[in-house]
Amino acid sequence: MSNILEIKNLCVSFASDGVKERAMAVSGVSLAVPEGKTVGLVGESGCGKSVTSLSVMGLLSDNGRVESGEALFGGQDLLRLSDREMRRIRGNRISMIFQEPMTSLNPVITVGKQVSEALRLHGGMDAKAAKARTIEIFEKVGIPEAERRFKSYPHQLSGGLRQRVMIGMAMVMRPALLIADEPTTALDVSIEAQILRLMRDLQRDTGTSILLITHNLGVVAEMCDEVYVMYAGEVVERANVTTLFDTCAHPYTRGLMASLPRMTPKGQRLYNIRGTVPNLRAMPSGCRFSPRCEFATEMCRGEKPELNDLGGGHLCRCFYPKDDERPLGGIDR
Amino acid sequence: MAKHIAKRILITIPVLLGLVFLVFFMLNVVPGDPVTVMMREHVKEDLIDRMRQSMHLDDPFIVRYFRYIWDMLHGDLGISWKLNRPVTGLIANAFPYTLKLAVASSLFSWIMGIPVGIISAVKKNSLLDHLSMGISLFGVSMPVFWVALILQNTFKNVLPISGADSWQCYILPTIVLGWSSAGRIARLTRSNLLDVLRSDYIRTARSKGLSPLKVINRHALKNALIPVITVMAIQISSLLSGAAITESVFAMPGVGGLAVEAIKKRDMPLLQGTVIFTAVLIIAGNLLADVLYSVIDPRIRVE
Ligand SMILES: Nc1ncnc2c1ncn2[C@@H]1O[C@H](COP(=O)(O)OP(=O)(O)OP(=O)(O)O)[C@@H](O)[C@H]1O
Ligand code: SF4
Ligand SMILES: [Mg+2]
Repeated sequence: MSNILEIKNLCVSFASDGVKERAMAVSGVSLAVPEGKTVGLVGESGCGKSVTSLSVMGLLSDNGRVESGEALFGGQDLLRLSDREMRRIRGNRISMIFQEPMTSLNPVITVGKQVSEALRLHGGMDAKAAKARTIEIFEKVGIPEAERRFKSYPHQLSGGLRQRVMIGMAMVMRPALLIADEPTTALDVSIEAQILRLMRDLQRDTGTSILLITHNLGVVAEMCDEVYVMYAGEVVERANVTTLFDTCAHPYTRGLMASLPRMTPKGQRLYNIRGTVPNLRAMPSGCRFSPRCEFATEMCRGEKPELNDLGGGHLCRCFYPKDDERPLGGIDR
Repeated sequence: MAKHIAKRILITIPVLLGLVFLVFFMLNVVPGDPVTVMMREHVKEDLIDRMRQSMHLDDPFIVRYFRYIWDMLHGDLGISWKLNRPVTGLIANAFPYTLKLAVASSLFSWIMGIPVGIISAVKKNSLLDHLSMGISLFGVSMPVFWVALILQNTFKNVLPISGADSWQCYILPTIVLGWSSAGRIARLTRSNLLDVLRSDYIRTARSKGLSPLKVINRHALKNALIPVITVMAIQISSLLSGAAITESVFAMPGVGGLAVEAIKKRDMPLLQGTVIFTAVLIIAGNLLADVLYSVIDPRIRVE
């Protein structure tokens, strides 16, 4: 099966005021999204998930810069396209949904207009045709009274409806790839389930591949075929979803798993990975996870582990991958 | 929407009454007997008494206040002590000059301020940006009379520097008044637009594949200009009420100049009239700003 998107060795840095050295937010990330599949990208806040996806879209803020790498999409390297060429792909072949449905929609433009805009731009439709199609899409993404909602402003809709609008906007051109950056983080659990179901249904209809960014492993279990786990700007583990939940190999992933409520026996305190994410400008030498890892050795602190294949495409960046003798998650220190 | 506007208009009534009260009170407790002001010292006692009576100056304050309101509602703001003519008529004669100047300087400030603000934001930190913001800051922070004097000196051989007989007379006052408004508008436009350009919905608009021009035009400007429009509405009202200093420096027979004359000559009815006229315009400007705001911003419209 071919990949719709293939990111190779992506490095992204940021400049900040008053500091000469640029901070590396993403260091050598490679990942592939197979056609028609959903790939999860998980990791703690600040590990570089959004930066990875924004680089692919060419939407990094002014102080961000892609240092190296490729993002192959339909035979083109997205990172080398001109802005004009990229604009033909954005919102058309690749679209994106963001976390905060309130702030991601323009407060002074009706939601109908915001959705039909993409149709007029990429589909060359006139206002009337675009409106009819938008109402159709609204119905499809489960917005009640679609006709009336066309004229609503974002603040007149609930969070769930706003996210449905965002999804409608993203799916209206039937993109080959949808990048969803924490699409349900801001929503209630019940709404989250509805939105996830909607995304799955749409995917079934359109065959769109999805890159789903989240820090919620529950969402991963429900939605994804494959998962990449990121830590401090690097991929530390990659596996298909069953492998990951059965036999995850990296201590960081195991920590994440152990901190899931349903995996903890009743009465036991939830596991918490000790320590905090390292500063981008002061990365630990050797394994980046070593200051927080329970299993770290001298070698871990001195040498940098490679991303090794444990077999069957299960990749892990650790000198001591999964060893069932160790207690999963260990003790909460 | 109509209800919101009606409510706002109703609220201005007590504000107006309170305002007139304040002005009336302040100007009636200051020392300086009008009759003596009018007649100088050397008049007979009984003549002064008769004058005071005919002007109802011996009535209690509150009676005079309500009489004043009553007259005001009938378009009568009293008689100028010094010019011996109805204040309403004096203001009506002066207002066209002020109006022309206000319109010209408002237009000047919008036509200069908004585009400059937009370009500065888009070309942030460029030479052009620094230059325009420098010029804007100069306009905002320099005292008006000083700018007026400098311009008068610089252009005294090319343009008229006083009076209001020809349209050329308006050029310098327009620049003096418009410069600071333009500066304020440019700086506000720039900072609002920069804020808006950082927002999530702009990223969404870009993620749709819109060109930078369309992103700014369709998605950023409206959001960025909402607060600017409010400021513009308030500015017009303060310009309309007469830019006292500018009108004086350029010897324009406008409302502002009238007020300055009234202060100099202790002409209470005239001062009272111009102050109230000014205040009414400012209240009206705020009302207009508020209504405009609710027309443009859908988030307010629903309430
Ligand atoms: N515009 C920016 N300027 C400077 N640094 C940035 C910028 N955007 C992101 N970074 C840095 O890059 C790193 C990765 O950020 P990113 O937003 O990708 O995290 P994330 O994994 O998406 O986290 P979250 O779960 O909180 O969304 C962070 O350390 C952040 O400080
Ligand atoms: S390499 Fe060492 S420090 Fe890094 S995750 Fe593996 S065991 Fe822990
Ligand atoms: Mg993020």
